[in-house]
Amino acid sequence: MQSVDLDIRGQICPSCLLLALKELNRRNQEIRAGDAEIVITTDDRQATSTIPIAAEHMGYAVDVHAVDGVYRIRIRGQR
Amino acid sequence: MDPVIGLIVAVSLLVGLCAGVVMHRADFCVTAAFRDVFLFRDFFLLRQMLLLVVVSMALFEFGRLGGLIEQQPFPLLGAPTLASLVGGFVFGIGMVLAGGCVVGSLYKLGAGSITGGVALVGMIAGSAAYAEIHPQWSAFARATTLVPDTITVPQWLGVAPGLLLLPLAALGALWLAREFRAGRMVRPAFARGHLAPWRAAVALALLGFVSYVLVGMPMGITTSYAKAGAWLESLVAPAHVAGLAYFELQPLHYTPPFADHSIQGGPGLGLDAIAVVQFPLILGIVAGAFASARWLGEGRPNWRLPPRQLVSAALGGLLLGLAARLAPSCNVWHLWGGMPILAMQSLLFTAGLVPGAWLGAHLLTRFVIR
Repeated sequence: MQSVDLDIRGQICPSCLLLALKELNRRNQEIRAGDAEIVITTDDRQATSTIPIAAEHMGYAVDVHAVDGVYRIRIRGQR
Repeated sequence: MDPVIGLIVAVSLLVGLCAGVVMHRADFCVTAAFRDVFLFRDFFLLRQMLLLVVVSMALFEFGRLGGLIEQQPFPLLGAPTLASLVGGFVFGIGMVLAGGCVVGSLYKLGAGSITGGVALVGMIAGSAAYAEIHPQWSAFARATTLVPDTITVPQWLGVAPGLLLLPLAALGALWLAREFRAGRMVRPAFARGHLAPWRAAVALALLGFVSYVLVGMPMGITTSYAKAGAWLESLVAPAHVAGLAYFELQPLHYTPPFADHSIQGGPGLGLDAIAVVQFPLILGIVAGAFASARWLGEGRPNWRLPPRQLVSAALGGLLLGLAARLAPSCNVWHLWGGMPILAMQSLLFTAGLVPGAWLGAHLLTRFVIR
């Protein structure tokens, strides 16, 4: 599976959600088919709430982990 | 030190520290509240702002009725003019481009945001730049005064404040209770040490109340940005700064709670009442957010940022600084302080802020985040 890494640490809000949505739309088919996943690295605390809500609403599976002072948000297909 | 000054410094610092922690833990961003309505049709944070206003409205009015609050309206508010509307509009654009308002940028800076720091530099520059156009702008403000010598809606209507504020707060509370029951005031969050935004809204309303009771006014910080600008500018052009009428003004002139004499201050170079009230608050917010982030092991700055975001933060900061002088004052002052007592300046500022945030959101997605 291909992992698409987005490092959005320190960027202006709401870069995190906007860039995540853009990538989700661009790779919609691959992610849903289980061929790719998106891994976002961010220090935006609000994004740990808004991204899972938006992505789950679109039918993706999301998990969030705090790693080394930042957050990793992984978005993948439901299957 | 004069004990009254000591009390103001201590309370402002403590309120700032608490506010910094609360805002960081909840990521309580006023900019996001307005911006996300336009970008994502997301009203979640705006509902939290309404909660803050409603709780403050009740606290301020009960505080006044109970004798804890003596000066209502509080100092530095003026009669409504179109200057507040225009100021609010420019402020709305600026806060979205900067990624945070004058207070939001402070807690984000404390939590390690480089763009927050860049925006702060922009704000100081924008505030100082205002001094160049102050004579023309104050003439515009005077010429467009809507109701002379009147500050709040209850004053304008000639009714006791409680007759308007308490029913309005009750209506707001009823609506918010419905939103709570429908589950629209909470949402899942995964950030460590997360504080629910509704709790932050209540905490910030209480902090505003403490500030109003003990300092004599709710949280406000922007005049001291102009003061910081004047200090920096005087290092390179002291004669020019000395010649600017704006830096001679002393708009703050009041008798603080527990004091038997008045104190005064303004945007100029002096270490005056503005410095005493506002600098500790600024320092507190940054330090509170810094401590909160460090406590969680977060807040390491990332210097590698897209250049256009740095430009946006600087430009947004400039607009914020300028707008905070045009209006005058910022969204936190007007939304968390003026709105709860229905200050007409604050209502006009907010009426300008909404379309400003809309335009800012368009500019942000078109030119900055791509």
